[in-house]
Amino acid sequence: MGRPATWYRRLLGLLPRDLLDRFGRDLEELHEGRLARAVGPAGRLRVWMDAVIDVFACAVREGAARVLGAGKGRGGMGRTMHDLEEAFRAIRAAPLFTLAAILTLGLGIGAASATFAVVHAVILKDLPYREPERLVMVWPEQNYNVSMVAMTHDAVPALEGISGISMWTLTLTGEREPRELTAAFVSPSHFELLGVRPALGRDFLPDEAVDGAGGVAVLSHDAWVGIFGADPDILGRVVHLAGSNHTERQIVGVMPAGFRPLREDPDLWAPLEGPASPDIATDRTWYVNWRVGRLAPGASIETAQEQLRAFAGSARERAPQIIDEEDVRTASVRPLGAYVAGALTPTLWVALGAVVLVLLIACANVANLLLARGEARGRDLAVRVALGAKRANVVRMLMAESGAIGLLGGAMGVAMSFGLVRLVVSRAPADFPRLDEVGVSWTVLLFALVATLVSTLLAGLAPALRGSRVDATHSLARASRSGSGHARTRLTGALVAGQVALASVVAVGSGLMLRSLQQLLAVDPGMDGTGVLTFRADPGEGRYGGPGAYDAFYGQLVERLRALPGVTSVGAIHILPGTTSNWSFPTFPEGVSHPEGTAIPSTNFRAVRPGYFQTVRIPLLEGRTLTDADRVGDQRVLVVNRAFAERWWPEGEAVGKTVRVFSADATPYRVVGVVGDVRQHARDREPLPELYYPQSQWDLFAVGQYLLVRFGDGSDPLAHAAQARDVVWGLDADVPVTEVRSLESVLDSSTRTLRFLTMLLAAFGSIAVLLGAIGVFGVTAYTVGRRVPEFGLRVALGSTRGALVGVAVARAVAPVVGGLAAGLGSALMLSRLLTATLYGVEPSDPFTFAAVAALLAVVGGVAAFLPAWRAGRVDPVSVLNRE
Amino acid sequence: MGRRDDASGFLPLHPMEFRILLALLDGPSYGTAIVEEIEAREGPGARLYPANVFRRMRDLIAKGLLEPCTGPEGADPRRGYLRLSRSGRAVARAEARRMQGLVEEATTRRLLPGG
Repeated sequence: MGRPATWYRRLLGLLPRDLLDRFGRDLEELHEGRLARAVGPAGRLRVWMDAVIDVFACAVREGAARVLGAGKGRGGMGRTMHDLEEAFRAIRAAPLFTLAAILTLGLGIGAASATFAVVHAVILKDLPYREPERLVMVWPEQNYNVSMVAMTHDAVPALEGISGISMWTLTLTGEREPRELTAAFVSPSHFELLGVRPALGRDFLPDEAVDGAGGVAVLSHDAWVGIFGADPDILGRVVHLAGSNHTERQIVGVMPAGFRPLREDPDLWAPLEGPASPDIATDRTWYVNWRVGRLAPGASIETAQEQLRAFAGSARERAPQIIDEEDVRTASVRPLGAYVAGALTPTLWVALGAVVLVLLIACANVANLLLARGEARGRDLAVRVALGAKRANVVRMLMAESGAIGLLGGAMGVAMSFGLVRLVVSRAPADFPRLDEVGVSWTVLLFALVATLVSTLLAGLAPALRGSRVDATHSLARASRSGSGHARTRLTGALVAGQVALASVVAVGSGLMLRSLQQLLAVDPGMDGTGVLTFRADPGEGRYGGPGAYDAFYGQLVERLRALPGVTSVGAIHILPGTTSNWSFPTFPEGVSHPEGTAIPSTNFRAVRPGYFQTVRIPLLEGRTLTDADRVGDQRVLVVNRAFAERWWPEGEAVGKTVRVFSADATPYRVVGVVGDVRQHARDREPLPELYYPQSQWDLFAVGQYLLVRFGDGSDPLAHAAQARDVVWGLDADVPVTEVRSLESVLDSSTRTLRFLTMLLAAFGSIAVLLGAIGVFGVTAYTVGRRVPEFGLRVALGSTRGALVGVAVARAVAPVVGGLAAGLGSALMLSRLLTATLYGVEPSDPFTFAAVAALLAVVGGVAAFLPAWRAGRVDPVSVLNRE
Repeated sequence: MGRRDDASGFLPLHPMEFRILLALLDGPSYGTAIVEEIEAREGPGARLYPANVFRRMRDLIAKGLLEPCTGPEGADPRRGYLRLSRSGRAVARAEARRMQGLVEEATTRRLLPGG
């Protein structure tokens, strides 16, 4: 607590003495109390933001009351307005300078506000539910069945309620064209737990969660409007919805338009049904992917977690083949907000940090512009001082000018932030969390205001103080080579060094992210998605009744697609690679024994049609692939991937071995081939062992498939989407065709968020380098201009022009080199923050550091050289004449 | 009448100043407690900007509406206790009357029910 207290005390230093003497202790006490009550880093950040705003606002009011209110006959406010009016008039007289300053500040403030808008929506803002701080994610890594949800509720009293969530796809028929709807199966208490009520009708009743009882559904507002035309008589209507244990469901409710579901956007909700008396071991409903819970009043996450661990231990005893020691160890309860923001959190903070550095660079640039302007106005200021103006008045006038620039820059920044936020939202991948909540809210505007105030102070204070230190006699005698000029050079040199240092930190950060992305994209996903069209076509088990009919349907569909012009091959698989869906079953490879008490390993399992490997170009390493000849009743066959073969049969010879799935006494499958590995879920995850099973031999239940069609003519596969749809509907007009995409975009989807954030950081890096270059250019131009008489003298005394350019460049480059060294040093320390985000690159990657050093050295050198060139063209005669 | 005229020179009060005066009606209190009392009355989640509240308290002292005093028995002697001055109480009452007049007007003009 020591350091925050010190910081706060420092902040309080902005307030006047008399206020602190009387209330300083109270202020510290209140601040400490608020910090102690704040929940999590976001809560503490909010306390600090409030404190900064409070103290700044108070200091500004006090300052205004003291400095401006001193003028008799005019109120403080009137005086301020008068000062601002004069300031606006003054800066309007120098439009080029004003424009440069406003653009620079506006760009910095706009970019910072837009980034803050994203960070605020994704990380800081409360979830849009009742008392969101009490909502938690329960044991996110574990697969649950419905019984386990009920038993967790009983075993963890620290949870007031818990709801399981399972995402399904249901087929709606009988309402114009057939369509697939996304359905969230949830516990009956789901909506009550979140604290939302349906806009129409009711939510679910407890007895609707019993097996076979829950033939009801609640529609989303969008589905109600989009599919049912906002039918006012929707309640009580029975619709045909196949794909779960009910083929018909009665609509009992409609959610309000503003309701934001957790994660995915379902079209409807239905009750999750389970056995009347819960039993982990016999309940087969292992598809409850997520559990959201609400902490009981006063209960802490730690208590809930302890109780969950205890429950996990007893659950392992009841279902040892499903829950292993590792699962018990990872049993956790996590705040829902942090879970939703997920892995993005560190990268977003880095982005916000980077953009704040960019804003600081912009401030340094504006400060330099103001310094240069102050120099140019030395005479004007000297006249004022000679006429008796007080130093405080000159400071006030100059501050009012930077205040006016700050106001305009801030206004431009706010305007820009609206556009930038829209740009960010349109470019962000669709699965970016809480994207629909990103916007310019009051909080974002407040951030922009604080950013404007702080940057105005930062940019304006030093130039104002320096400007007020004019010496009337010297300036009036036009002694521009006086001591204050040298002090100014030192100040600008320090500003340039600071800018270069900040720019190199941002550039290193974005460089590392770019390198990481490059490494990730260089990873071979194990397959080739170019030229492949993919879509889902599921005829619906209700209408087709069973795996045999499904197999016949897909057999015909593949034949007809293959006959399309340009098609080279067609395949199908029931879960597309590059997505997060998964099927994984307990596996018993031949010759491998599982000692008593150890968990049975689960293996990813995919049902495919024969052309699959050829269509997505997964290489056959050994044996054969699947063929149309593998039928129900024949020897059951499998193709395994290399990871599976190497894990269980490291000696080789996988082909010919057998694998049993589900249980040790199940019918064995014979391995007929080994194929290459595929990174099934994401590029940065190692390939997992995998089994491919021919759909033609799958007779347990019907499995809908994704079709994959390779076009060999190099055309855009999406251009053939309509043709492919016609083929499906030519076979059966009631089959919905959904998720029509190119396989390439599916495979890219796992890197899309990272790519987006990397591009954001790269943009910040470029702006940082550009602003830094502008700073170096401006300062060199100024310095060279000031030394023209000296250069003239040197030429007259026999210096060569080349030597003069060298002298000028050396002068200008010194702060660049110093700044670069300091910046790279800081970057070396700061880049460790990126460790969790980087893939295949060390935070201290020498290549990135060398590249940034080279880039900034070259850019800084060029920015210094261009104005220095002028030094070599000085005409000594005219210079000496002028002197 | 004279006292009311004195008080009316301070009207209308800033809402925060009125809040502060109200918070001190029950007897002397000190900075932190006053801020917390006002926050509690504003309802859950209300968070004042304390430096700005204290700035107003200091101004109220300067205007003579609040005055420093000793705390109750056993209170921390380092705490600066404040209480309402006579004129502070008068100004608070005058402000309340002014508001009451506004409410009555709103009622007779049927903005509020009861007129």
